[in-house]
Amino acid sequence: MREQHLHALLHHLPAGVATLQGLDLRYGYLNKAMQELLGTDVAEGQCVADHPGVLPSDLVDVLHQVYRTGTPYIAKACSLPLPTQEGKESVSRCYDLVLEPVRDEENQDITGLVLFAVDVTQQEEARQRAHTLSMETRRLDARLRVLTETVPQITFSLDAEGLYEYVSPQWYYFTGQPPTADLNAIWPLLIHPDDRLRVLYQGDAARKAGKGWSYEYRLRRHDGQYRWMLSRALPELHAPDQPVFWHGALTEVHDQRELSDALRRGEAELRFLADSIPELIWTATAEGFIDYYNHYTGEYSGLTKEELGPTGWVNLLEPRKQAEAARHWVKSVATGEPFEGLFRMRRHDGQYRWHIIRARQLADERGPRWFGACTDVDDQHRLREVLQVQYDELARTNRDLDTFVYTASHDLKQPLFNLRGLFEELRRSASFDDPEEEQLLSMVDDSLHQLDSTLQELAATVQDQRGLSAPVEKLDLRHITDEVLLGLRAQIQASDATVHVEVTEAPTLLYGRANLRSVLHNLLSNALKFAHPERLPVITLRSYLSKNNKPVLMVQDNGLGMNIPKTSTAAFQPFTRQHPQIGGSGVGLYLVQRILTSRGGRLEVASTMGESTTFTLYWFEA
Amino acid sequence: MNLNHIVYISRAVRPLTDQDLHELLEQCRRDNSKNHITGILFYSHGNIAQLFEGEPEITEALFKRIKRDGRHSHVQKLIDKPIDVRSFPDWHMAFHPLESVGFSQLQGFLMPDRVPAPPSTLTIADAMLIELVRLAVFGTPTEQAFPALPGPTSV
Repeated sequence: MREQHLHALLHHLPAGVATLQGLDLRYGYLNKAMQELLGTDVAEGQCVADHPGVLPSDLVDVLHQVYRTGTPYIAKACSLPLPTQEGKESVSRCYDLVLEPVRDEENQDITGLVLFAVDVTQQEEARQRAHTLSMETRRLDARLRVLTETVPQITFSLDAEGLYEYVSPQWYYFTGQPPTADLNAIWPLLIHPDDRLRVLYQGDAARKAGKGWSYEYRLRRHDGQYRWMLSRALPELHAPDQPVFWHGALTEVHDQRELSDALRRGEAELRFLADSIPELIWTATAEGFIDYYNHYTGEYSGLTKEELGPTGWVNLLEPRKQAEAARHWVKSVATGEPFEGLFRMRRHDGQYRWHIIRARQLADERGPRWFGACTDVDDQHRLREVLQVQYDELARTNRDLDTFVYTASHDLKQPLFNLRGLFEELRRSASFDDPEEEQLLSMVDDSLHQLDSTLQELAATVQDQRGLSAPVEKLDLRHITDEVLLGLRAQIQASDATVHVEVTEAPTLLYGRANLRSVLHNLLSNALKFAHPERLPVITLRSYLSKNNKPVLMVQDNGLGMNIPKTSTAAFQPFTRQHPQIGGSGVGLYLVQRILTSRGGRLEVASTMGESTTFTLYWFEA
Repeated sequence: MNLNHIVYISRAVRPLTDQDLHELLEQCRRDNSKNHITGILFYSHGNIAQLFEGEPEITEALFKRIKRDGRHSHVQKLIDKPIDVRSFPDWHMAFHPLESVGFSQLQGFLMPDRVPAPPSTLTIADAMLIELVRLAVFGTPTEQAFPALPGPTSV
């Protein structure tokens, strides 16, 4: 009963059991598992050598060897192909095969073998997997190591106590410390004394809080130089709030830091400079919005940066110039062209002072920006204005006097000639009872001669200087008029006058150049000088042909007008001044008339007091 | 009645489509007419600029809301100050739609080249600000440069 039970147990054992008997190792008992393993063509009484089933031939050799030597043998994880079953592919499974010799009752001679086959496929697979995994881990580990040792940063790991667990070789290259150095002792000593306490405190605080960190400090390099480093680390958490390690990297940021320090310093210095200059200095964005006014701008305008705002500078200009300046600025911003202009800018006390406003665009990798300055040129401007007025006055007076001298000397010639004739007549017809008569007569004669030559010399000198005697030439009226207007531009600008020049009908004139200039200058400067204070001067200059097909010039203004005496020539007498309140030498019109008549022409004038004056010049019609 | 106006520029987080612009126009018109907000908004290639005027409490609240709007960033306030009178009778939006068909009929829409000159009720400094803002959004006009600023005034 018990044996039967044992037999059944043996038969259903999950491991294969077989006995091999005799020298030729014939199969004895085969339990169910072994029968399935070896296959159906293996049966009791057959020789292993003839029917090895799935057993490999070298194992059969080992079976014989164990039988001969009596030494047990275990073949670990032996891969055996399972017998093919219908419709299924053959699969291999792993078995531990145990070969145990069986001795006789006296325990002397070996009578056979027991073969155990334990299926270890699962264990084997697990082992294989573990192996592959560990190979992969090793590979990744090697890769990580190569990476951490190749990057320029120093990488490190700290444990929960803040002790260094690992530091990449770069640390040793950087610090020049031997590989045997005690990291935890040496590292703090290499930190710049000024940074050391802060770094140790910040590190401790971050570890206590279980957080990462990012801070900069100076670390001593192998050559003794302290370099700025950025230390960043993050905790490795094993439970939600239980950091075990901190891993991090140390990056050298020395150059960037030096550069940004230098930039900051440079910027601060430039700003200080801009704030120290007694000029209005400002910068604007690419869009043209002012984003900085220097200190002096506030002082000058009496306004804060907020009150001025991005475009408020324009409020400082004279109201009637603001729109023009605004258009100019918008155009500069649109095109990138420099901005430049002369404007009067209001000071905090309400006084306007002349300024040159200049702005230029700087375009670099930081994008375009504008830099501007307003330079006070008020004193220079006023001085120049005064000088210009004085210069113009002197030039005009000088010219007038020259012409006057010339005309006067010319006009005196005729009475002198008459005087000489009369004197000759007197000497011929009258007799004197004086012994010194002859001497007196010759003295009068000499004086008359002297007077004549003086007058001639005078006329000749002025004539040469002024070019009044120059021969006539074909003159472009518009050209000469433009030249004269250029000379009068200060007066034109000051009075904001409009001058219409219409010469298409008779564009040229055969005349003396200096004479024409003198005529035009006198008439135009008179029109500007005697402008009506309540309106902007409008002057019309028209050249046309008369009924006789001769050129005529008309000059009309909208000024004060003049009182024309009954005898119309009176206005043209020298030193006749129509408006005593306005400065002048009083020879202007007289000269114009003299020039015209000397060349066979005449001057006509028509005027309405307070409305306008029209001069008509008949060049060649007396 | 107290009045205030605010001008700002900003950048859209992503380019606005015709659909986005249409919705924005409708929404702003509705809200602005309810709050008596008038002004003008410029949009082009992600650039946004707006001038709006109204009662100080309302403009302030509106600007706060605009600043928080996630559709744009880099909001830069250029001006925020009291004004005497309104310069805009209504609220308008000017942009270049991809498909101009349909937009031209829309209430409150303007083609950028149809934007009227800054009203003369604005100071020259503010008119110049509007011109610069318009330039920043739409770029350099190809023709008819700067018609908007008033011409030189003779005294």
